[in-house]
Amino acid sequence: MKITAPISTPAEVEPLVRAGARELYCGVVPPEWVRRFNTSGVNRRVFGNLNGYADLERVVDNAHALDAEVFLVLNAQQYGEQHLDALTEIAAHFRSIGGNAAIVADISLIALLAANVPQLAIHVSSVATCRNVESARFFAQLGARRIILPRDVTVAEISAIATELPELDIEAFVLNDGCVFEEGTCHTVHLPMNKGGPICIDNYEFEYRAASGEAPAQRALRRLEKNDQDYKRWLWYRFGNGFSVAPNGYPWGPCGLCAMPAMHAAGVHSVKIAGREGASERKVKSVELVHEVLRRIEDGEPETKVRECAVGLRDAPSHCASGYMCYYPEKRSRQEVASYAEPA
Amino acid sequence: MTSTPTPTPTPTPTPSIPPKPPGPIELGFALVDERELAVFAHHERVTRDDYLDPLGDARQYVTLPDDAEPTHFFLGSEFCEHLLPSLEAIDRAVALCERWGVTFGLVTPIACDSLFEPLRTALARLPAGGEVTVNDWGVARVVQREFPDLRPVAGRLLGKMLKDPRLPSATWARMYPNGLRAGPFREILDNLGIGRLELDFPPFGAADMYAGIDFPVGVRAPYGYIAKGRICKLGSLALDVPEKFSPGHQCRRECLGFSEVGARPGTRELQTSQRGNTMYYRHAPGMTAAIAEAVANGWVSRIVLSGA
Repeated sequence: MKITAPISTPAEVEPLVRAGARELYCGVVPPEWVRRFNTSGVNRRVFGNLNGYADLERVVDNAHALDAEVFLVLNAQQYGEQHLDALTEIAAHFRSIGGNAAIVADISLIALLAANVPQLAIHVSSVATCRNVESARFFAQLGARRIILPRDVTVAEISAIATELPELDIEAFVLNDGCVFEEGTCHTVHLPMNKGGPICIDNYEFEYRAASGEAPAQRALRRLEKNDQDYKRWLWYRFGNGFSVAPNGYPWGPCGLCAMPAMHAAGVHSVKIAGREGASERKVKSVELVHEVLRRIEDGEPETKVRECAVGLRDAPSHCASGYMCYYPEKRSRQEVASYAEPA
Repeated sequence: MTSTPTPTPTPTPTPSIPPKPPGPIELGFALVDERELAVFAHHERVTRDDYLDPLGDARQYVTLPDDAEPTHFFLGSEFCEHLLPSLEAIDRAVALCERWGVTFGLVTPIACDSLFEPLRTALARLPAGGEVTVNDWGVARVVQREFPDLRPVAGRLLGKMLKDPRLPSATWARMYPNGLRAGPFREILDNLGIGRLELDFPPFGAADMYAGIDFPVGVRAPYGYIAKGRICKLGSLALDVPEKFSPGHQCRRECLGFSEVGARPGTRELQTSQRGNTMYYRHAPGMTAAIAEAVANGWVSRIVLSGA
């Protein structure tokens, strides 16, 4: 199982690979694109992109010298038909400098790249919301080599897809940055924070209504409000514990470390660390965290021991005990969750 | 709530793609909660008012051509794997459609693998010529391969477009064009035997946004969906930590009993609501007029009424 890590500058290649990443993904916005389309929307992120083709070439050279692969994100949820030729040119250029794969969500672009840049592998982005075997077969037929599963899947679902389709590489999220809605079915933009930010944490003031259109009965309302409090707490965890880091420098945020033994056993090809826009230190610490768990799995440590280690790595197991920080909470029993909260 | 939203449609004085002669408009109603079939069961035949009445006050945000009468009736959820209708409800709806002389359609969501067997069983109950609204490429494959006598329609989740009701201006919307006219998209739908596309009308949309799609287009009204998740706040109501707010758990379909309605304070944006895992915006008068214009120009051939 490989660790797939985000980069946004050539300087990040070496520390990330040394920390244990074998696959790197990045974005680039060529100046010609901006001139032609008057937008930076080559991929999902306005920030966190490399500074042009020269940097992209440097990243590929440096990574290959360290035996790591590089993937380019062309992962907007949808592109206009006027963009498709330019995107194909970007992908062809990436392949010509030795790039390994494009991460794509738009089905028209997947079809075009498969036809026109056949040497460049296609990884179906999590933004494509491919989360069943039939859908994975559909994308494989279009030319995909890898499926990056969306965040909100269960380990059983991941395992079933990986087992059923050994000819496809399966990649699953392991760390950082959690969407509330499914990325592929959230048709919004992350506005600047002074205009509301992501819609899932924007300042909406909602009132509950019963199906009749009236306000719910008091008893129901109390239960709904209690659930809302729990949800706010979950949101805090979903957004990196209020966008903070652990005292020992490791990142908070949605975490799948405890599920790694099961994913490894199922033949998952890669685990993905999110966060291209993050600071370099956060990226390196993230890879270290995942690599420590992977090393123990590869050394044959029992699953329970690996999970114990994973919970202890950030030196604040009470957050694991909350049950709200997990990508795959089903991997831990209630007893396990309770035990994290107890002092040793 | 009274809404005078700021996102008004862009006028379309000279559409670059000429209007098509409008054919007869198709009119559908999409029901998610199978319990509400009981209301429809009273009707010996259905009229446009029978489709408009369940919308309540929101019916004022629908403009239908004079000759629009019910042609389709849909049951099921686009957004949630836990809302697949029971076989009894499907049978009842199919029988009602036969009585009314309209086409039945089953609406299906993005599927997890465990949904496929119940879905196959459900699809087997549909009469030949029945429609299936697909929102998952895998489901589309299964329909084409195993149910060739059904007619798949690409649902709103497959027709990607920006629909953020908070956008400060139309300029923002133009930065993220859709790919509905792209050749490969058309080819992929063709290869899957999909003959129709169902779409939303987005904030800052215009009537001619449907022109040139070269595919029969239906529009949902009077609500568009903004975003949908697999995590469901309301569906976690009866769950304990750590099951709350995680995928793969059964719910008690709380979303059929409650919804949330509101707005961002200090704004005059479209009325927004959340039901279960999905956020919606309600159309504003200008949007209603733009859809009517698209129908009049032959760019939209079906309106599907549904709640939020």
